[in-house]
Formats: sequence, structure tokens, C-alpha cells
Amino acid sequence: MPKMLATVVDNLVSRPATRPHPYQRREAFVRARGRIIFDISRCVFCGACALRCPAGAIRVNRAERELVFMPFQCIVCGACVEGCRRGCAQIIPQYHSPAYSKPEEYYRAPLPVREDDQL
Amino acid sequence: MAVKTVLPFGPQHPVLPEPIQLRITLEDESIGQVLPALGYVHRGIEKAGEKNDYPLNVFLVERICGICSATHGLAYCLAIEKLLGIEPPPRANYLRVVWAELHRLHSHLLWLGLLADAFGFESLFMQIWRIRETVMDVLEQTAGNRVIISVCSIGGVRRDLSEQQIEQTMNALADCERQLKAILPAILEDYTVKKRTVGKGVLPTEKAIRLGVVGPTLRASGVAQDLRMTGYAAYGELGFEPVVEQAGDCYARAVVRARECFQTIDLIRRALERLPEGDIQTKPRGNPNGKAIVRVEAPRGELMYFVVGNGTKNLERMRVRTPTLANAPALLEMLPGAEFADVPVITLSIDPCISCTER
Ligand code: SF4
Ligand code: SF4
Repeated sequence: MPKMLATVVDNLVSRPATRPHPYQRREAFVRARGRIIFDISRCVFCGACALRCPAGAIRVNRAERELVFMPFQCIVCGACVEGCRRGCAQIIPQYHSPAYSKPEEYYRAPLPVREDDQL
Repeated sequence: MAVKTVLPFGPQHPVLPEPIQLRITLEDESIGQVLPALGYVHRGIEKAGEKNDYPLNVFLVERICGICSATHGLAYCLAIEKLLGIEPPPRANYLRVVWAELHRLHSHLLWLGLLADAFGFESLFMQIWRIRETVMDVLEQTAGNRVIISVCSIGGVRRDLSEQQIEQTMNALADCERQLKAILPAILEDYTVKKRTVGKGVLPTEKAIRLGVVGPTLRASGVAQDLRMTGYAAYGELGFEPVVEQAGDCYARAVVRARECFQTIDLIRRALERLPEGDIQTKPRGNPNGKAIVRVEAPRGELMYFVVGNGTKNLERMRVRTPTLANAPALLEMLPGAEFADVPVITLSIDPCISCTER
């Protein structure tokens, strides 16, 4: 007991080690793997991300220029970000908040417009 | 004559975080025969590993165990690197040691907390887990995630450490060490703790060797065996002496893990100080072909990976032998003759990890 005294006093005078979670949130660490977002304007629908995804959370449809992402299947490993050369798949430190359903995210890019089309 | 009772201990039991059932035959309060029943959390990971492309398996094997996932990733990468004949750059080797040791530190702290919980010392459990949180924050800062850190990749590591992060890690380690130094002697010399652990579940040296026990359980029985002595990754250059205790009881196993916490902190410090400059990734080329066995030291003991490649992207076979499989038979030696109230402490003393045993 005397040996623990320092720790006991320390605990009495220090702030609580926990925080009241939903009301007070911790800043995410800069390098934390929170979740994946797609900047679809940069995407060329090459499918490199889908090929590297260990969870099968990405489907790329090249003909339709469409990318389907299942955020609740994603394990946020970051392999797609490393595989994407266009900087379209990105990782941000904010976690996905809990949800009641697991919707898929559809990303669709407008068809590219040729310059002579606009004339 | 005493009445024999058969009691099922588990698969759901307050002290067991994971499902294993021990069918215990009791004679009054003392334990006669013990029969383990496994198979509650089989997930078929080995088979899944044969279906995935081999680079994707790194993420799969990390999910075999939630506590020593970095070690699983490391062992798998070492095995595939052996087959491909590539060598990771020196900086990657050092970084692998840093992350593997951080994982060992948090695993040992988790275990010390659970031990305290097993004999009902709740406040101690909270204290230790608070210290563990420092380590978890370091992991999240450096690797991006708390538990499944996914830093190893075939041919190196996926993340580098900046100067600032190295400094942060050093500070966190100093903080962790200070708190541990304040609290561990108090635990290990405490009357209650000693009463519940000294002389319980004794495993003599010869028996430990005969049963093929591994890891801290073996070292607590007086055998200086630690696979980090074989010098995989950068361990060979860091200088390493295993921690050994002689008594072979629950107390000795706790002491081994407590001392290993400090040793681990030292190892991380040394690795960070000597961190060589340079690349962190060698590009893997080709597909694995042939057979390779890799043995590494996980927090619970020897972890073995056996992979067979056939020149395609898929492995022919991936076999994992986890430390708990080796340690479980020892449990059946330790329990008979003990008191029923000591079952939780003795069971926990081998640090069982059922989900990695069944995969
Ligand atoms: S996100 Fe990147 S890798 Fe995936 S299809 Fe688009 S450009 Fe290719
Ligand atoms: S982070 Fe990993 S699991 Fe998630 S989409 Fe990217 S590759 Fe797939």
C-alpha cells in the first residue's frame, strides 16, 4: 500500500483519463487511417484500386464511367490509395460514423467533352 | 469419498475474453481431469489465404490475431520474401522491429491488466490499461491505426517515420516507462497478488521442454529460448538477451512479461536511435515458388508460417502455427491438483489466444 501511495495521490489530483465521448471528441491524428474518399473528377476508371483491394470494397465500371464504393466493407488498409496513380482515392483521418444501414456510395464522372463538340 | 462433479468452464466466461471450453472434473474444490474443447471461432483463414492473391494476404493474416497482428504480417512477409529471394532495405528492417515491439509492449500490458482482472483487482486493471493507451496512441500516430496497423508489406514497410514522429515516440516511451516503474513494483510485491500467483500452476523445466512450450511461458520455466535471438529483421544488430525466470509458476510468468515490457522499451529506443537512412521498400517481382518456413517471436511465443508457392499469384498452401497451440497442453499439466478458484489465473497465465489458434 505505501508503494501505491504516489500513484493514488497522482490519480486524485490528475484529470480523468477518459473523456465524455459523444460530447467531447478527440482530434484525429494526422496520419490516422480514418476513411476513404474519392475525388471522382480525377478518376480515369483504370480499376487499379479495385484490383488491390483485399476486401473487395470497390467496383469499377469502365464503360459506364462509374465507381461503386462500399464503405462498410472497406477495412481502411490504404492499398487503393497506394495503387491509384491519379490521386483520386484518398485517405482522410476522420472515421466513418456509425450508421443504421450500409449504403454503397456511387461515384459517376461526366463523360469527357471534346473541344470540337462544344462548337 | 468425495463427489465428482463435471463443470464446464467457458466457452463464455467472465474472465475469458475468448471462447474455449475446459471441462473440469472436480473433487470437492480440487481439480481432477481437464478436457479442453476448441472450435468455437474457426474462420477458415488458411483456406482464404490460398484463394487470395499473395500480396493481399498480408491484410488477411493480420486479422488472424487482434493483439499480435503486426507479428503475423511480419512473419508472412518474411516467408514470401524468402520465396521471392528479395531482401528488404535496412531501414525497413529497423522499422519492422519498432512496430513489432510496440505490439509486444501493448500485448504484454493488456495481459498484465487481464491478469489483475482475473483475480478481481479492478483498479489495477484500469491503471495498466491506461498505460497501454499511451502505446495505442503511438501506434495510431505512426501507423494510422490502433490495433491492425498494416505496416508490413512484401519487400519492406508501407510507412516511414519522420523526425518529429520519432521524437513523439521516444517521449511516449519515456512516459510509459515512468508510469510502469511507478506501478509494476507495487503490483509484483503486493501481498494479494503474490498470494494468488506464487506457487500456482507450476510447470517445471523438464516438463516445459517435453511439452514443447514456447514464449514467456517457457522462459518463466527457466529456458532461455527466444526467437529474436535468431536475429530476423534487425534483431541481430540490436543485441538481445532473453528474460528468464526460474520458478515456473504464475508469478514467474507475470514477472517475465513485466520485465519484457522494459526490455521492449529499450529495444524500440535502440532501434530508433540507430535507424539507418534510405529506402523502405524493395519492389517484389514475380510470383512465389517453392516452400518456406519462417519462425518469429510473437508476444505469446513462437509463431511459425509455412507457405508453399507454385509460381502463380495464389499460394498452394499457407499453414500457421500459433503459440497458444503449443502452450495449451501445458495448461492441462498445470491445472490438475489446483484449486477451482485458481483456474482463471492459471488459464490466463499462458496468455491464451484462441482466435489465432483456430484461425
Ligand atoms: S480511383 Fe484511381 S485507381 Fe481507382 S479507378 Fe480511379 S484512377 Fe484508377
Ligand atoms: S482502403 Fe483497403 S479495403 Fe478500403 S477500399 Fe481501399 S483497398 Fe479496399
